[in-house]
Amino acid sequence: MATILVHISLLAYAAGAAAFLTWLVKPDARWVRSGRLLLLAGLALHVGAFLAPADTNLATIGLGAGNWKGGQLFSLLAAITVAGYLILDWRYDLPVAGAFVAPFTVAVMVPAHLVPSTARAIAPQLYHSIALRIHVGAAAVGTGILALAFGLALLYLASEKQMKTKRPGRLFARLPSLDLIDKAGYRLAVWGFVFLSLAIATGSLASHEATGHALPFAPKQGFAILAWALFASLIQARLVAGWRGRRVAFLVITGFVLIIGTYVGLLTAPALHVAGTV
Amino acid sequence: MTFLCVGLSHKEAPIAVREQLAVPLEQIGERLEKLRKLPGVREALLVSTCNRIEVYAIADSRGVGEDILGELGPIAAPHAKCRFDEEGVKHLFRVAASLDSMVVGEAQILGQVKEAAALAHQAGAMGAEINRALAAAVRAAKRVRTETEIARGAVSLSSVAVRLAHKLLGSLERRSVLLLGAGEMAQLAARELRSEGASELLVANRSPARAEELAREISGVPVSLAELPTLLERADVAICSTGAAHHVVTRELMARALKARRYRPIFLVDLTLPRNVDPSVNELENVYVYDLDDLERVAAQNRDLRALHVDKAEEIVEEELRAYFARLHERKSMPVLARLRAYAEGVARQEAEKTLAALNGLGEKERKSVRAMAAAIVNKLLHAPTARLRAEAGQGPLGEAAAALFGLEDEPGPQPVPMPVPDPAPDPAPAPLPEPDPEPAVLPLVRNG
Repeated sequence: MATILVHISLLAYAAGAAAFLTWLVKPDARWVRSGRLLLLAGLALHVGAFLAPADTNLATIGLGAGNWKGGQLFSLLAAITVAGYLILDWRYDLPVAGAFVAPFTVAVMVPAHLVPSTARAIAPQLYHSIALRIHVGAAAVGTGILALAFGLALLYLASEKQMKTKRPGRLFARLPSLDLIDKAGYRLAVWGFVFLSLAIATGSLASHEATGHALPFAPKQGFAILAWALFASLIQARLVAGWRGRRVAFLVITGFVLIIGTYVGLLTAPALHVAGTV
Repeated sequence: MTFLCVGLSHKEAPIAVREQLAVPLEQIGERLEKLRKLPGVREALLVSTCNRIEVYAIADSRGVGEDILGELGPIAAPHAKCRFDEEGVKHLFRVAASLDSMVVGEAQILGQVKEAAALAHQAGAMGAEINRALAAAVRAAKRVRTETEIARGAVSLSSVAVRLAHKLLGSLERRSVLLLGAGEMAQLAARELRSEGASELLVANRSPARAEELAREISGVPVSLAELPTLLERADVAICSTGAAHHVVTRELMARALKARRYRPIFLVDLTLPRNVDPSVNELENVYVYDLDDLERVAAQNRDLRALHVDKAEEIVEEELRAYFARLHERKSMPVLARLRAYAEGVARQEAEKTLAALNGLGEKERKSVRAMAAAIVNKLLHAPTARLRAEAGQGPLGEAAAALFGLEDEPGPQPVPMPVPDPAPDPAPAPLPEPDPEPAVLPLVRNG
């Protein structure tokens, strides 16, 4: 049941992505409306899948005990990104970001559902760890938010380049103002930073529960700490020196690449959530 | 009856002619009355803008066009153009859709046409025919606006500057605009920024007296040019047209101001030659400098973009025109159909009632059956002729032939045949009524532009 729901929601996301991309070529507001509705419908089904009984429960989406399947975390990430986008769009009216988010969601979801899920073990002492549950939840929410910030940073750079070189391209008329992209991107970076901090703190607790080491040295932890430091300095530079625009966009992009690094570290680690120990 | 369009536009006459012919708003009613009094004119609409003066009319014959031309005045005659029927209607569609405008895609013309319609209504010169054509033209124009990009992008320099300011800063509310110098285009842009919500308008000039005078004119605040470094810290948009022969805003000055303003973005518009803003200022982070050439390039690009979509807009107009004429022809064929049906049904009812009166002792059920039979015979007999007349849509000879054959020519319209029976029982086979007019009887009168 849950699997079918996820498949239908993936179809809705794909259709939503197609609607947003069509809108870029054919500026008819109906495409944006259908894109939003499709994403919303996809999200509802997706959340339904997470809540559906039987073959899914919190464990199977990566929150804690049981066998962790490769796809579920990415699935959760996709759902969070879509939810984040819909909130962002409702607040700032940013259909052009939809043209980035919807295909991104599909790109995250498709491999998650096509790749055969390989069960990977979680250290038995973490089966009931609250810290681990919070850690995984916060990491997924934080990554979703930072993915949106990353998208906005790319949008900012593209838009800024057109403004600076004085050669507005085909999509210029449909891009939101630079100021809005900058502000929205910065706010997302701050929220992403909050969740990233929470994920690192609870991850450290979980690691301590499992191995006795609060901060084991491994690629995943290394990337996470680097990303955290980078976002911390970004916020500091904005608050103290008023950094904005290109500089902030570049920092957000670098930060997100580091976050991706933690996922690569996660996938290549010999065991989950207790990297460097098993 | 003929649809006429008599007049001239920027394509036919130079501005010197147009300005003499232009009819002020308050005189349009009067002129329409004169036009309406011309022999043969049934309905009239007068569109007078700075780029065109055109009379659209429904008249008895094409010859009436000459009289309308005479009414426009002798200066108009050598330039004016008369368009008849389909050509005239097409022109109305193209005008409303802004395809005949000097700046293709400009938004004002549709409002101006609607305003002309409102005035014609007030003057009692508007009738059903022009109204129908106008409603269809407005619909086509709206489709053109929403389905193509011909109205996208600003094409005048000051509006390009305002659009770019929006692109950089979003809403201009609570933004500060600095006007350096008193060039005319700079004033225009400043006014436009102000009307877009800019909360502060700082006016700096080498002569403090001139600054004060200008500030009063455009409701700004006079400031001293000597404070330029501080002003650059404060303003979000600066429009420069000082007439100085050197760079007023140098890279060094801007770099210092930028730090003080904590890298908040600033938009500098340089409207003078030689330039007032050092072009290298554009290299600074979050500073955007646009000079006359840059603005002109964006405007030209927008114009090209509009031109790309003209074909699509023309297609929409053609499509709507075809639909309009199809409806018109159908409407023309309708009276014959309706009269034919009313005539046949009247005969059937009369005969049925005559028969019923002669037959005594029939129950209500039987009486109903007899009436139903009479109605069914009419329906069966008229089925094929109705289909053919509809298919012909008033263009072929059958409509006239049917009218002649059944002696329907003299009737002005479908006349109700007296119903001798007070039987409220519903007709078992109700006759199809002529289709309702798909267009509203009166155009919504929206005044704008």
